[in-house]
Amino acid sequence: MHDNGRFERTDPTGESSEPAPESNGATGRGTADRRKSAVELRGEKLAIGYPTTDEPVVECEAVLLPAGEVTALVGPNGSGKSTLLKAMADQLTPEAGRVRIDGEAVQSIESKELAQRLGLLSQEHDSPASLTVEELVYHGRYPHRGFFESVGADDRRAVERAIELAGVADLRNETMQNLSGGQKQLAWIAMVLAQETDVLLLDEPTTYLDLHHQLRVMEVIRTLNREQGVTVGVVLHDIGQAARFADNLVAMKDGEPYDWGPPRDVVTEELLSDVFRVDASVDGDAPTGPHIAPHRAIDED
Amino acid sequence: MTASERAITADADSSSRWPGVVDSALVTLCLGSVLVVVAGGLIQVSFGSYSMSALQAWQAVFNPEVVFDPEAWQAFVFGTELPEMNRRSLIVWNIRLPRVFVAVLVGMSLAVSGAIFQAVTRNELASPFILGVSSGAGFAVLLTLVVFSSLSPLLPLVAALGGTIAFLLVYVIAWKNGTSPVRLVLAGVIVNMVFQSLQRGLFFFADDLGTVQSAIAWITGSLTGVGWEQFRIALVPTLVAVVFALAAARQLNVLLLGEQTASSLGMQVERIRFLLSGVAILAASAAIAVAGVVGFFGLVIPHVVRLVVGGDYRRLLLGCVFLGPALMVVADVGARLALSPVQIPVGVVTGLIGGPYFLYLMRKQQNIGEL
Repeated sequence: MHDNGRFERTDPTGESSEPAPESNGATGRGTADRRKSAVELRGEKLAIGYPTTDEPVVECEAVLLPAGEVTALVGPNGSGKSTLLKAMADQLTPEAGRVRIDGEAVQSIESKELAQRLGLLSQEHDSPASLTVEELVYHGRYPHRGFFESVGADDRRAVERAIELAGVADLRNETMQNLSGGQKQLAWIAMVLAQETDVLLLDEPTTYLDLHHQLRVMEVIRTLNREQGVTVGVVLHDIGQAARFADNLVAMKDGEPYDWGPPRDVVTEELLSDVFRVDASVDGDAPTGPHIAPHRAIDED
Repeated sequence: MTASERAITADADSSSRWPGVVDSALVTLCLGSVLVVVAGGLIQVSFGSYSMSALQAWQAVFNPEVVFDPEAWQAFVFGTELPEMNRRSLIVWNIRLPRVFVAVLVGMSLAVSGAIFQAVTRNELASPFILGVSSGAGFAVLLTLVVFSSLSPLLPLVAALGGTIAFLLVYVIAWKNGTSPVRLVLAGVIVNMVFQSLQRGLFFFADDLGTVQSAIAWITGSLTGVGWEQFRIALVPTLVAVVFALAAARQLNVLLLGEQTASSLGMQVERIRFLLSGVAILAASAAIAVAGVVGFFGLVIPHVVRLVVGGDYRRLLLGCVFLGPALMVVADVGARLALSPVQIPVGVVTGLIGGPYFLYLMRKQQNIGEL
């Protein structure tokens, strides 16, 4: 069970878990200008399951991706972070509760319109062998085009911007079969960038990548967030990486949020032992965010 | 051309309306296919029971009194009364040529249908008949020939109807909170198995050899004896299916990125998948109604086109629209003339030539089968 009082204390918006009047996620940290047009994504009283399960896999009173900030979902395998992300992206209908983008329920938004406002990069995707990077990025414009509509000036501008932002300009005419895993992932990120959404959700975008490409991916996400004020929710395996890059962490345990807040508040030795079952020491004063030195796995009871 | 020059050309291409859809490989494929259709057609009209020389036959094909006679075309396409023409023109235009035109339509619809099903089921071994269409149609044909022989004049309609019912059955079986490519293919296997058993069982109730031969011609696929009437039956559904498929090529491309990606891009995957399957079934039904179940063809053609132009469905479908007719016309030349005067079903030829050719491609190309 998570500690409810602690959970609310670290709520960066200062709002309680009840549905609240729209405050548009003003954080009062003097950064409101950049985030003026940014959009928040909020889950309320969610119970999320799959057709094959009786009990909900994830139960969550409240979860907030504050407008214009990067929020990382962390937790051990099977803690429900990907499930929560899918429900937030309206790819999985919750059994109870609702998800609101900028105050509007996502289930009530037409699917293409939602895809213009909220992008999701899933963990599983197929890369057709003879598809070029540029063609892939053009698919990101799908929600902006009608069934029979052809490419317009807006689409071309968005694709150019996405290719540049993701740093794949030198790969644009390469086919997917000739790319390394890291290059492929950057190409896929360029595709979701071309969608030009207010909110971007990414499911484990750095898993299986080498360190260089992990950092490239995280830097692209950071730049997008800083320069365009895009609200980002990202599932990460590596809590150290999450602590370095994210404004907020949501730590998941057994399908419920265990704690939530800025990395320096959330990442503690207690969290690592309770949630990740790891004996570790944490240096909370390191300049790049809390530094974790894991020692050993704690035995199961 | 240096790498940088190539990059510049590519940039110029990408700023056009449809970035790089038409390339030289596609143009070559299409032009080559047209030449093959013309050559195959000219061979086809040169032979037959009414004896005339090849030159006389070709003169009849290009006889301006027929080619530029709107009344004649009206008769061919809409079935109005045929204007008067000389005997050779009559035989070439009314008996030999329509078979070529029907082969063109059948080849086009089977190739396009196969290409669509390969994307919808994301299965490189998918053919137009993967979702039960062939066995449903075959069963309906046998039922008509053996039990309800009074319905025989409506055989094309019955065949198409049987195929469509089998397809809908497959969808019902596969549906459980939505479908998935694997569930669809498995349901197709189930329906195919049941209908094929029923079909074989019905053979035992056929009382004469003629009925059996006629049934076998249907389930192997044959163009023997087709004329303008069959052309008229297949024309509209084929054209509708082809136009719709070309327009929806981008949807197929997005489907190939995986269901989750397509869905998070805002595509209503189930709806689009059913719609596209419906288009592919329409094309397959048009072919079945006039030629029966021509096997193998719809599986192979998309792969051959893919090897030449790549996996982009805008190029792939265009290639299928041209290469499908070319190879069907060639196969039908073989079916009609190889063992003359005996005509064999074209489905036998497509299997006999297509199989080994596919084997050759498999041996030669490492990456065949990748979508």
